[in-house]
Amino acid sequence: MDCDVVNNMNAATRRTKEDKKVLKKQQKASHTLLKHEGISTTSQPTKSLVVANGGLGNGVGREDLFAAVNQFGDVESLLMPPQKPYAFVTYRFEDGARKAHAQLNGKKLQTGENSVTFYLSYVDSVKHREETLVGFPEGLTLVEDFVSLEEEALLLAAVDWSMSNEAQKALKHRRVKHYGFEFRYDNNNVDKDKPLPAGLPDECLPVLQRCLQDGLINVLPDQLTVNQYESGQGIPPHVDTHSAFDDTILSLSLGAQAVMEFRHPDGRAVPVVLPERSLMVMKGESRYLWTHGITPRKFDLVPACEPDVGSNSGLTLRKRGTRTSFTFRKIRYEPCCCAFPSACDSQEGTSLYPPSPPSLPCCHADATLLEEEYVHRVYDAIASHFSRTRHTPWPHVCHFLSSLPPGSVLVDVGCGNGKYLGVNPQLITVGCDRSSALVQICAERGFQVFVSDALSVPLRTALCDACISIAVIHHFSTLERRLAAVRELVRLLKPGGQALIYVWAYEQEYNKQKSKYLKDHDKQHNGEKSKDTTEESQESHEEPSVFTTSLVARDVKDASEMTEGRLSVHTNRTAFNSQDLLVPWHLKGRKTHGEEESSGRFSSRGEPNPDFDSSMSSDTTHSPDSKPSPSDNMCQIPGGSSVPVFHRYYHVFQQGELEQLCTQVTGIKVQTSYHDQGNWCVVLQKE
Amino acid sequence: MKLLTHNMLTSHVKGVTKGYPLLIKATEVKVNEVEFNPKFVCRMIPKLEWSTLVQAADQLGHREELPGELVPDYEKNGDFLKKVHRVLLEVEVIEGCLQCPESGREFPISKGIPNMLLNEDEA
Repeated sequence: MDCDVVNNMNAATRRTKEDKKVLKKQQKASHTLLKHEGISTTSQPTKSLVVANGGLGNGVGREDLFAAVNQFGDVESLLMPPQKPYAFVTYRFEDGARKAHAQLNGKKLQTGENSVTFYLSYVDSVKHREETLVGFPEGLTLVEDFVSLEEEALLLAAVDWSMSNEAQKALKHRRVKHYGFEFRYDNNNVDKDKPLPAGLPDECLPVLQRCLQDGLINVLPDQLTVNQYESGQGIPPHVDTHSAFDDTILSLSLGAQAVMEFRHPDGRAVPVVLPERSLMVMKGESRYLWTHGITPRKFDLVPACEPDVGSNSGLTLRKRGTRTSFTFRKIRYEPCCCAFPSACDSQEGTSLYPPSPPSLPCCHADATLLEEEYVHRVYDAIASHFSRTRHTPWPHVCHFLSSLPPGSVLVDVGCGNGKYLGVNPQLITVGCDRSSALVQICAERGFQVFVSDALSVPLRTALCDACISIAVIHHFSTLERRLAAVRELVRLLKPGGQALIYVWAYEQEYNKQKSKYLKDHDKQHNGEKSKDTTEESQESHEEPSVFTTSLVARDVKDASEMTEGRLSVHTNRTAFNSQDLLVPWHLKGRKTHGEEESSGRFSSRGEPNPDFDSSMSSDTTHSPDSKPSPSDNMCQIPGGSSVPVFHRYYHVFQQGELEQLCTQVTGIKVQTSYHDQGNWCVVLQKE
Repeated sequence: MKLLTHNMLTSHVKGVTKGYPLLIKATEVKVNEVEFNPKFVCRMIPKLEWSTLVQAADQLGHREELPGELVPDYEKNGDFLKKVHRVLLEVEVIEGCLQCPESGREFPISKGIPNMLLNEDEA
């Protein structure tokens, strides 16, 4: 044989050998990951393969995967469990699986914007999880192809966005325009005596006539809200105000499809695909009791259209386009007398549906009042429940504490239930907290504590070798107060002393790893029970980052952009869409272990109301002046039992913000700055 | 509230410059048994204001034989350390109050917990 040919062949073999080595390593890694998921691979060829990185969780669509595997043989079934970073393919004959394994293993695949590397392994069996078909919420109907393509174009053209009001100045939010009557965001209602001059656009008439003829409505609507959602935008879950609008609400989806999520107070969640040009009709329970919302994201999980293979239809990813909804409603003039008083503002009276939602304070006095109402009173009311959910100290904090020299004086400012007071018994530790109830719990545990405010700690200056402030400063509602809190910590330190500060992060997903706060949300959605559903992380979750696409896109909104600076109520266990917000806490009595804690299971009335993100938290009953007891916040669920809901104020910090705050204090140096399970953390040292 | 804690506390009423030490007015005092750790006590001593400790122990009637000044070479003095241990960690004020020496403001102690919260006008 020719010398050169031999040399080339040897070179090729050498390369292949190295590639093989790398491939083997990567394969091993993927096996470990799969084991975590309960998937056992086998080295013996079978008809079935698991394709690691070929899952919906990696942004790989069903069509793409099918195209990749179909070329090697007849595919019997293709299973893509939702949100997982792997998929299963079963061939009719083992030969197909072998060929696929040989050709696809270690191969890169381009799917739209991403590229993923597949790792294939044989599996003995593929377990199909039966996806139970869930029906629509009661009262909800969907009529597909309600308008023609021409009508769709006409309607979209009829909206003149250039004349929209200043509520649209933040381009990152969905666009909104009203006709007939203006929707007010300060009271979530309509000015019924002040109709808008123009009325509904003429182009809508044929559509509305059709609705009348088809018997979907009896009376023509007189209010129209047009919402335009770009990919990545959404609207928080809400119930349209009972007292503002009559029963039937019509919503026409134009331009693109989207998935709307309906949630019942008992926790049931039903995703509803709204195809382009379809009409959604909400009546009865679906209109009065279930909340509806659109998750801000760029891809939706939808059923796969083509029944390409297998018995189960499966799911696929559908990229979002710009969707415009036309929501038609009839103004209500008498009080609402629906069968769902728990969600009704007409029937429960004003004590539970306050006209004035809390807004960001602009002065010290307001700040104190806000914090009194939405921090201190809440913690005092929820103390024992809260304490039961805060039992495992975080590793990084423990590390800080354990590395302090024995005999160091440590102060825990905002010690809560004393979680950290006993971590290092070699220290001289004292704790303080604003909540008497929580301090009481510490004392019962034998710790030395006292009640005080973090802005004025009654300890001598330069007393401590170290101090910690874990999950405290994010409860201060103005920049000045947050700064004052840091200054107070610094005052307490001896020169050379260190302070560790933790605050809740705006960015709950960091380095493509979701915080436990978000992960538990996903777990719940997949029907798994999460043992700990607190806002803190417990075990360090060594979950492999096989996710290559972030399926959660966020609207970044800081306080200044919010309409009138109102505080919105956050939906637990989802990404934050604002820095200043009220986070619900559902108070549970002493019940079963492993019960979901502060989760979004119960759809409290505290969800923002129609059509606008920055609307009020209707569940927070009191204006700062009235001081009713926290038990006024009752959320009624069907069946009669009431679950008290409390709202805590938080200012979540953006990346770098805590560090920046600290550097404004003279005489200190920031030693380290890091992200720890959904928190921004800083260690500073006094010079 | 143990005397170790009292040693660290100060009055933070607005305008007060001599808020330390706080006077103790106890109506209920308890003495617990706490495991004696001489090393730990040794480490605590340099962090304390000794005269405050003696004064406080006196106010509670639990001074016993605590010397007015630190004994030299106390690290090796087991007896001394035991006395310090007792006064610092075993004597506890359950009910009473702490009084600011300058303004006279009283901070209540209830169930062993001092409540140092100030009113709006005092902060």
